[in-house]
Amino acid sequence: MHKASVLERTLRGIALTLVIFFFMFPIFWIFLMSFQTNETILRVPPSMIFEPTLTNYRSLISGTLEGSTATLEIRFMSNLYNSLFLSVTSVTVGLLLGVPAAYAFAKLKFRGSEDIAFTLLSFRFAPPLLVLLPLTIYFQKIGLADTYLGLIWVYQLIVLPLILWIVRGYFEDIPSDIEYAHRIAGHGFWSTFTKIALPLAGPGIAAAGLLAFIFAWNNFIFALVLASADKQPVTVGALAFITASGINYGQIAAGIMLSIAPTFALALYAQRYLVEGLSLGAVKG
Amino acid sequence: MSLSLTDIRKSFKDDTVLDGVSLEVPTGKTLVLFGPSGAGKTVLLRLIAGVIEPDAGVVEIAGRNMSGVEPEDRGIGMAFQNFALFPHMSALDNIASPLTAQKQSKSAIQSGVQSLARLLKIEHVLGHKPKELSNGQKQRTALARALAGKPEVLLLDDPLRNVDAKLRFEMRLELPRLIKDQNATVIYVTQDYKEAMAFGDEIAVINDGRIQQIGTPEQVYLTPANTDIARLFGDPVINLLEVTPQMGASGPFVAVSDQPVPLPASHSGDIDRPCILGLRPEALSFASPETPGTIPMTVETEAPLNEKTVTLAVTARGREIMLSRPAGTPGPRSGPAHMVINASAALLFDRATGELIQGTTDAQAQGKVA
Amino acid sequence: MSTHTVDAPKKRNFKISKRYLPYVLSLPALLMCIGILIPFFTAVAYSLQRYRLSQPWARKWNWGENYLNFMTDPAFWNTLKVSLTYAFLTVGVELLLGLGIALLLQKRTRFNNFVSIMLLMPLMTAPALASLMWKLMTNPGFGVLSYWATLLGIEDMKWASDPSTAMMTVVIVDVWVYTPFIMILLLAGLRSLPRQPFEAAELDGVPRLFVFWKITLPMLTPFLLTAVLFRVIESIQQFDIIYAMTQGGPGDKLTVFQVEAYLNFFQSTNVGRSAALLMILWLITYILSTIFIKNWLRLRERARGEG
Repeated sequence: MHKASVLERTLRGIALTLVIFFFMFPIFWIFLMSFQTNETILRVPPSMIFEPTLTNYRSLISGTLEGSTATLEIRFMSNLYNSLFLSVTSVTVGLLLGVPAAYAFAKLKFRGSEDIAFTLLSFRFAPPLLVLLPLTIYFQKIGLADTYLGLIWVYQLIVLPLILWIVRGYFEDIPSDIEYAHRIAGHGFWSTFTKIALPLAGPGIAAAGLLAFIFAWNNFIFALVLASADKQPVTVGALAFITASGINYGQIAAGIMLSIAPTFALALYAQRYLVEGLSLGAVKG
Repeated sequence: MSLSLTDIRKSFKDDTVLDGVSLEVPTGKTLVLFGPSGAGKTVLLRLIAGVIEPDAGVVEIAGRNMSGVEPEDRGIGMAFQNFALFPHMSALDNIASPLTAQKQSKSAIQSGVQSLARLLKIEHVLGHKPKELSNGQKQRTALARALAGKPEVLLLDDPLRNVDAKLRFEMRLELPRLIKDQNATVIYVTQDYKEAMAFGDEIAVINDGRIQQIGTPEQVYLTPANTDIARLFGDPVINLLEVTPQMGASGPFVAVSDQPVPLPASHSGDIDRPCILGLRPEALSFASPETPGTIPMTVETEAPLNEKTVTLAVTARGREIMLSRPAGTPGPRSGPAHMVINASAALLFDRATGELIQGTTDAQAQGKVA
Repeated sequence: MSTHTVDAPKKRNFKISKRYLPYVLSLPALLMCIGILIPFFTAVAYSLQRYRLSQPWARKWNWGENYLNFMTDPAFWNTLKVSLTYAFLTVGVELLLGLGIALLLQKRTRFNNFVSIMLLMPLMTAPALASLMWKLMTNPGFGVLSYWATLLGIEDMKWASDPSTAMMTVVIVDVWVYTPFIMILLLAGLRSLPRQPFEAAELDGVPRLFVFWKITLPMLTPFLLTAVLFRVIESIQQFDIIYAMTQGGPGDKLTVFQVEAYLNFFQSTNVGRSAALLMILWLITYILSTIFIKNWLRLRERARGEG
């Protein structure tokens, strides 16, 4: 390889430091803020030296917010719970619907299969409001408005194309001969699907599930349009929270940290599959 | 279980892979399906196994039409060229797969796998996953899995293709006995003519999706249906010389280096027809110049080949000829020499089509006259 | 043969299932398609109606009038301009930055891999929450960035609340969230390139800038194209970041398509105009996504080939 000169290495080092600083600083700063009281946050100039406190997290978890004027009930924990419930159930439903379909698209080419697969893919790129706005009116009529069921259904819009296209790739990678061998050995179609195809595509299914969870968790617009306060996930809840609490910035920061922690953890855990998932299977990491 | 295929056709998009294939394999016999890659052998096996459906034609096992019968219900065992082992299961579970499908008891499965593993010498690796197995062990595991269910029809798709030469040599000796012991009807696919000759009760030569010849190994070797088959069977390869039959005083003959090689009288109808003369290297032998009818030539080089010694020579006309003789017998190493042709082993092919000319029988010749 | 006997009824059952099996397996996905297509066509219908939620009695078909009105509607042209500006700025900066970072991290070292994983964290942050984070940092009262601005001599920087800096602020947040996306795609692309051309160029002493322009970039093109199209399609539809940051303000400075449509629907309750806006946005993204999918498929084929 090319031997880098001292100057070049220095420049690279500086560039990389700036990059890391730009992308990491906000997370770091909000993290610090979440352990501060309003007093230390409002200091000018801002400083990294303070006495850390857990009161922000404590009051978020206990559900009572001590504002400057009065004590408020806050639903942050219920928002967090909504996020968890919506994401887990959406992904579960998405896997139940998407994995068999992915198998059909990958292994049993049938008339219209490509058209359906591409239509589903194109949903991934259509403006979500285009579907959401008419849906609010329909949901009012059929009673799905402001229900978990309605939300879970709409969440399939992001979850299903992702699962379908990632898992399909993993099914395509299974040599047909292996499945044939299992059939010829005397096992039926379903046995071959569950004992051969599913285990061999297992890592892909897990990765797709984790990524779909991250996308569902991070979604904002679906719940903003379709959910009222008691069904809202953290993404929407946090926005309401900032208006409600007004000036208790430490708690907002703590709320943000709690809201992004799960996706960070999952991303670290599933990092090997992130590239593939983010590009819907077009690029392998 | 006898196996019969009638006029099987299969195309993928515009690509015709099988173009009217018909075959019969009697119960307990082994048919070798021999042909170059891309001839349609593997597709044919898959059709028999039922994992793909033919566009037209009938597959019958034990006289029963298999159309619409699922692969798992056909009572077939199959070994794949690429082994197709289940990568997430141990060798034991791979081999046990047909037995679990038959819902056999745990102990029956255990003993069934053990006895096969002992037979194929893979007992010590039964706990390993396929990726921990050597190629030879994979191949034996795949074979064991194909045999485990005691199938009455056994399909072996070039099982020795992807193993090293030493193992192939061993298995060539072991496999025929193993197959015979199964009492199964076997279709064995190979591209190796020696395997074909060694394993087959019959050989079906397939090319471009058509069966070109079916016969016993001797028939295929001694009377190949065309020059392609003649070239594919035999090592060293058959000598093919362009000739034109002529009529002489004692009957039809062809001239090789100005020496007449007599043809059977049945070739009287082929005078002046452009032909190819096929001479197996072992039909040619060295002779002293005094022997009548010898052909002069120049020996270029010689090489040992298995139990034979092969000599490459050039005739006076510059045509290359290969002769073979049993190893250890004397023969010239280089320089001028003479050879004689065993005319009774000569084969005559049509030059335009490459088909073997069987020669019109006397009866037909008389018919023509009358 | 006893274990393999086939009885007639079983055979017939199977025949039915084999033909319909793919449809049975993909039925849920199929229903999903239909479930989405219905609201889509409803939206098409709305866009051709005079339809205000506040005046349901006045609802009627007005055919192309909503679209025709756009021609003379400065608010529409503002929306188009703001959306395109936003998409152009965000994707432009993200592409340059993402490519630069990918080149910095190209070598497969432990440290580089660690950094690239760390840099994914912004991408894993919900965009709406990312906006909140930056809101806290750009608060004119206590925001650390506002303080830094004063150090640079810029007094009273109002960031997203100031019409002159609002666009810049949301672009920074978008860049913070989505640059890692382009970076990670290009990094995967760079690392998948064959090494021979680079080794040959090195041996021949070809200048590195020349290698970059003549070998690296052309070979990276499919990845660049996929990443950029992906991002343009998303960026032109951006809602979360802008809505969470300013709800389209100040004034109409940031009323991009989806924000404008959302405000039209829920604040002015003008369903017809809202739907027509979304239809135009859909048309733009549809054209872009057909180009994108072609590229994406080619990359996917290649990835499958390697795998």
